[in-house]
Amino acid sequence: MDDLYEVKKIRWHTPEIYELVTERNDIPFAPGDSMAIFAGDGSQSRPYSIASGIDDPVLRFIVRKMPDGVISTYLIDLKPGDTVRMSTPFGWFRPGLSSAGAPFAFVATGTGIAPFLSYLRSYGEKPPAHCLFGVRHHQDAIELDFLQEHCELKLAVSRENINECHHGRVTDLLPSLQFTNDTHFYLCGLDAMIDRVSEWLEGKGIDFTQIHREVFFYAP
Amino acid sequence: MLHREDESWLYTATGDSRGYIQPECLQELWFHTGTNCNLRCPFCLEGSKPGDDRLAFITLDDARPFIDEALILGVEKFSFTGGEPFVNPHMVGILDYALDDRPCLVLTNATEPLQNRFAKVRPLIEKPNPLSFRVSLDYPDPEKHDSSRGKGNFRLSLRTLSALNNAGFGVSIARLRDINENTETVDGQYRPYFEEAGLPADTRIVSFPDFMTPGSLPDVPQITENCMKTYLTAEQRSEFMCNFSKMIVKRNGRTGVYACTLVDDDGDYDLGATLTESMKVRVMLRHHRCYSCFAYGATCSER
Repeated sequence: MDDLYEVKKIRWHTPEIYELVTERNDIPFAPGDSMAIFAGDGSQSRPYSIASGIDDPVLRFIVRKMPDGVISTYLIDLKPGDTVRMSTPFGWFRPGLSSAGAPFAFVATGTGIAPFLSYLRSYGEKPPAHCLFGVRHHQDAIELDFLQEHCELKLAVSRENINECHHGRVTDLLPSLQFTNDTHFYLCGLDAMIDRVSEWLEGKGIDFTQIHREVFFYAP
Repeated sequence: MLHREDESWLYTATGDSRGYIQPECLQELWFHTGTNCNLRCPFCLEGSKPGDDRLAFITLDDARPFIDEALILGVEKFSFTGGEPFVNPHMVGILDYALDDRPCLVLTNATEPLQNRFAKVRPLIEKPNPLSFRVSLDYPDPEKHDSSRGKGNFRLSLRTLSALNNAGFGVSIARLRDINENTETVDGQYRPYFEEAGLPADTRIVSFPDFMTPGSLPDVPQITENCMKTYLTAEQRSEFMCNFSKMIVKRNGRTGVYACTLVDDDGDYDLGATLTESMKVRVMLRHHRCYSCFAYGATCSER
């Protein structure tokens, strides 16, 4: 059932991307789960992936502010102590947890890093073999220090040329990966990236049941 | 038995006795697994979308008493629809329980939720009863299908269909039906995709008219008792799903028995808390979707 959660803070990472932090209310979840967040009148909701770890005392969501986004513009006016209505956690995407001991890798673009942050905050002692992260601008690479500390991260920045980062799309990094045929790949982001990566991996002999997809879509 | 006696339930707007079905048997029991779905199709008759909870996830504890009661009543098959059933975290456990006693059918979009749970679904082939899947491929045209279901999802559903078929599960297709279509021609346009996926050429295709979104009140003809007797034979009347099936729905924390798979947006079709009780209740054909069954012979069943 839906419940009300107290807002702890809104933390801006960039002028477009912010983090909504709410109280936990002792709700259980698994990395990869989402929660539907409702606007004030409860008539509309959008799903957001949980970015916090399973033992964290708070819930974290990474939100990209859309110019006409019903929920993303509603949330930014919330103050600490306000409440926000959210669904129970739900999901089918289980990064790192549905590969039955086989090696695994993460590929994310933009706010699609959220479920992987949740995994690393929950199971940091079992990192992925690779983590590819694609962003438009370097500042969009949120929690970069944490990611670099907890996994073998390769960052692709498409609209800036930054030292020690690939200048281009995350898909450009695929040929540099070393992996075995039993590797599971967890992809999260917009459909164009997921389609390209899936196609490339299947072309390299990875069975489609080893390619786990969480497609983010923008809806106003 | 009547569970409501108000005029609008019993009579049409013009005062004629409303058409009805007096259920004869329980051959098929459906479960609504919840309206939460990974997709957001604009035409969805359930209004399902990510995070939607109009109808809640059904759990094994919710389903078990109905499965057990249905077996006593002679049920032949269990079927599951959503939402997307594999968004429901309890789905594999419910199937594992139900497949001990009867064949099961799951209606699915065969995208990420099923793909990502495939490793847990595959062992169900070893159960004593067969499991089959009906996969939504709205049109025999990937671009048209993807325009409402998301880019790449036609191909993903087709790949999942192929994997299900290769694993030994039964498969069929659900598609949208245009009232003016040539059904044979449209069905034939799926064959190249079946061939591509390694599916049998005679893979069953079930087509549906536009049922409209929940709460819609389209202006369709009302079905009178006279219509049912004049235009339909006894055999045709017996093909109405409400004659031989029921659906279990969980709403606002309560699990109840509904008349069929298409009327869960109208609380008047909640026929009771048990199957035994609901089997006695006369189903009045008042919902606008009842007209689809009357006029087009629409059915969700594969019997």
